[in-house]
Amino acid sequence: MKILGIETSCDETAAAVVEDGSRILSSVVASQVAVHHPYGGVVPELASRKHIEAIVAVVEEALEKAGLRTDQMDAVAATRGPGLVGALLVGFNFAKAFAYARAIPWTGVDHLEAHIYSVFFGDEVPGLPYAALLVSGGHTSIYHVKNHCEMTRLGETLDDAAGEAFDKVAKMLGLGYPGGNVISELAERGRPGKIQFPRAYMDKAAFAFSFSGLKTAVNRFIQTHPENYHELIPDIAAEFQAAVIEVLVYKLMRAAEKTGCRDIALVGGVAANRKLREELAKAAKDAGLTLFTPSIDLCGDNAAMIAGLGYHLLKDGDKSPEDLSADVYSRAARG
Amino acid sequence: MTTQSIRIHTASSDETRRLGTMVGRALAEPASIGLTGDLGCGKTVFVQGLARGLAVPDRYAVTSPTYTLINEYPGRLPFFHVDLYRITGADELTDIGMDDLAAGRGVIVIEWAERLPPELLSFDMAASIDMTGDFTRTFRFFFYRRPSGNLIRDLKNNFNADEE
Repeated sequence: MKILGIETSCDETAAAVVEDGSRILSSVVASQVAVHHPYGGVVPELASRKHIEAIVAVVEEALEKAGLRTDQMDAVAATRGPGLVGALLVGFNFAKAFAYARAIPWTGVDHLEAHIYSVFFGDEVPGLPYAALLVSGGHTSIYHVKNHCEMTRLGETLDDAAGEAFDKVAKMLGLGYPGGNVISELAERGRPGKIQFPRAYMDKAAFAFSFSGLKTAVNRFIQTHPENYHELIPDIAAEFQAAVIEVLVYKLMRAAEKTGCRDIALVGGVAANRKLREELAKAAKDAGLTLFTPSIDLCGDNAAMIAGLGYHLLKDGDKSPEDLSADVYSRAARG
Repeated sequence: MTTQSIRIHTASSDETRRLGTMVGRALAEPASIGLTGDLGCGKTVFVQGLARGLAVPDRYAVTSPTYTLINEYPGRLPFFHVDLYRITGADELTDIGMDDLAAGRGVIVIEWAERLPPELLSFDMAASIDMTGDFTRTFRFFFYRRPSGNLIRDLKNNFNADEE
């Protein structure tokens, strides 16, 4: 079954063709189209409603790369939420129209659950159930995945996402924005613990996160050390990164323990952070668990994950295919 | 009316959240509120309180909209939490759908409001936040339209306030 996946929840316009939920035939993200597509035009970094200008070109490119025609698609899957409503509507309505015109099934996919699914494109995949940590610029949450159609969110951030904290701390330190990667590079040269920032474990038995206090602690340190904070930047970066990673690792390990999962997954844009991967791999090994991470190109927002999870929702889900009155959502509520 | 302003000092993030809740409870009709202040000064904490005051259900975590740009919540009035931190120009405001929001469909709170171009800088209420210590904050509220009920009196009675 070949599925066309579409993702427009935030900045990226993305389309992909995936076969049977596991084989990626093509995966296109808008920024690549700007370079390769002769009439795609320049797709700005902050796409939002610019998705309208990009979507047709992106879908065409995904089909072309897969070597397939529109009439060879068996179904369509599009991101339904959470995200920016104006942006979501572009991809969601495109998917509806595409499916309606060709009389093929379609489904809406939760953006966060699709990230969780992104570990299923590797050669080695986790066994069900597994516990997963999603960390990105916009989200930080922990899931218990019973099967692809039944994921329970155990907890989420109550304020800032971890990736956002990285970017904002980079900005405070004068390293530009977004500068999360710069923080990670500088942290290699610094010593964690030389300066001390708080670890926000919240309730140690539960799975909520909070990174806004840490961000504020860094800002206060800068304000109160105007003379010498510049020379301490690598140490600030190292301690900040350690404070984020320790909590993330602790909560995922705790989730695996509580749910009795032997396999764990790390997904989302921040899953590309080398230190986080290392620390999590170490903790997993010590606990006798196996860690799964997607390839780097599947860490960020993409449409392959949407098509991949969409396949399972259409095959096994109870609520698909959906009718045309279905709508997008900005925020997902708990429970 | 002439613009009224009031200064409020909070001593903890819990108190900042309570301040937000009191402001949220006083909102009886669609309104736009601008927020300004440095990274980590407590804008999101204030908005979390405000959302509860608007009866946004607890099962929604009110989180930073920096990446998502506009977070929408159901409440007594529809609630739109906007963050302009990543916005670099007026055309991007149109792209994210700001003109739709300006139609007065609910309560709109805009973080980094100073990034709006002057012709769009029109609020019913604005607050600037200063970090005065590790946990202490000073809010300066400006009311461009008379708030409903007795919000100003309630703020004076329940918080460490000085009128200007």
